[in-house]
Amino acid sequence: MDLTPKVKFLGMTFDVTMMIGTVVSALIVMLIVFLMTRKLTMRPSGKQNLMEYLIDFISGITGTMLEKKQASRYLSFALTTFLFILVANLLGVAVMVTASAHGPIPALGITAQGLEKAKNSLSWFKSPTSDLNVTVAMAGAIFIYSHFAGIKKSPLNYLKGYVRPYWWMLPIHLIDELSKPATHALRLWANIFAGEVLILILREAPFYFTGVPLFAWMGFSVFVGCIQAYIFTVLAMVYISQKVAGE
Amino acid sequence: MSFAVLAGGIMIAFGALGAGIGNGLLFSHYLDGIARQPEAQGNLFGQSMIGLGLIEAMPVISIAFGILVLFGII
Repeated sequence: MDLTPKVKFLGMTFDVTMMIGTVVSALIVMLIVFLMTRKLTMRPSGKQNLMEYLIDFISGITGTMLEKKQASRYLSFALTTFLFILVANLLGVAVMVTASAHGPIPALGITAQGLEKAKNSLSWFKSPTSDLNVTVAMAGAIFIYSHFAGIKKSPLNYLKGYVRPYWWMLPIHLIDELSKPATHALRLWANIFAGEVLILILREAPFYFTGVPLFAWMGFSVFVGCIQAYIFTVLAMVYISQKVAGE
Repeated sequence: MSFAVLAGGIMIAFGALGAGIGNGLLFSHYLDGIARQPEAQGNLFGQSMIGLGLIEAMPVISIAFGILVLFGII
């Protein structure tokens, strides 16, 4: 396992690698969408076709999960979520920057103990979704938003949802509500983390020995990254739709 | 050999076992589906891939925690 540089600020610990990763993925998503939506024409060609296909694909997700009026409202949110997670997942497969540290760096929270455990390797760039904090933040934001939207729509209906169809179902509903964000975050994190660890392990061994499995696994990682981005978006829409769906 | 290595190994092994059973069931039913109705293959393929992503979650979570235990991080 590689160490990551961490900075302490206002009593909180910030992971520098994850901050770089998140900002780079966000910038790449912005760049892709910006470049793809220049010079829009009535008869689309090339990049505009691709963007229209992408939006059509996402509106297919929101359209099946939500009502027609709400579907267009959540379209841009779903598109942003999907593109960000997709880019973040694929970045880790394509680019992994690891440096070797020669001594402990107290300012970045790197101790001699940790260095010995990580064999002096220090990770500067990897997939931001391979860190549990990032996925918990995303899933937590969706969890809080879905409850907020439910209360905003109809507080009485929201409370009734917990005791439906019988009042003794309340504990089951509570466990259900709490397990949703947990599995939502863990699903994405575990897939990307396990993929990255296997790439790191295969990278350690000589190339003639692990070359073919490494490329096979990287191909599978691309597939897993796409599937998980899609599933994260679908589940986010399902969780929101369960709260805002009309009677 | 410490017990952490053994524990991590068991977690990864059972994750792989569960994923094998789950994916085997999913794809056997997928093949049943296209044998019965070959024209539905395109639709069923997409659906089974979503199912694959959902099924893979639990074993992969177990494997990820197994890796963390194996390398002594937690």
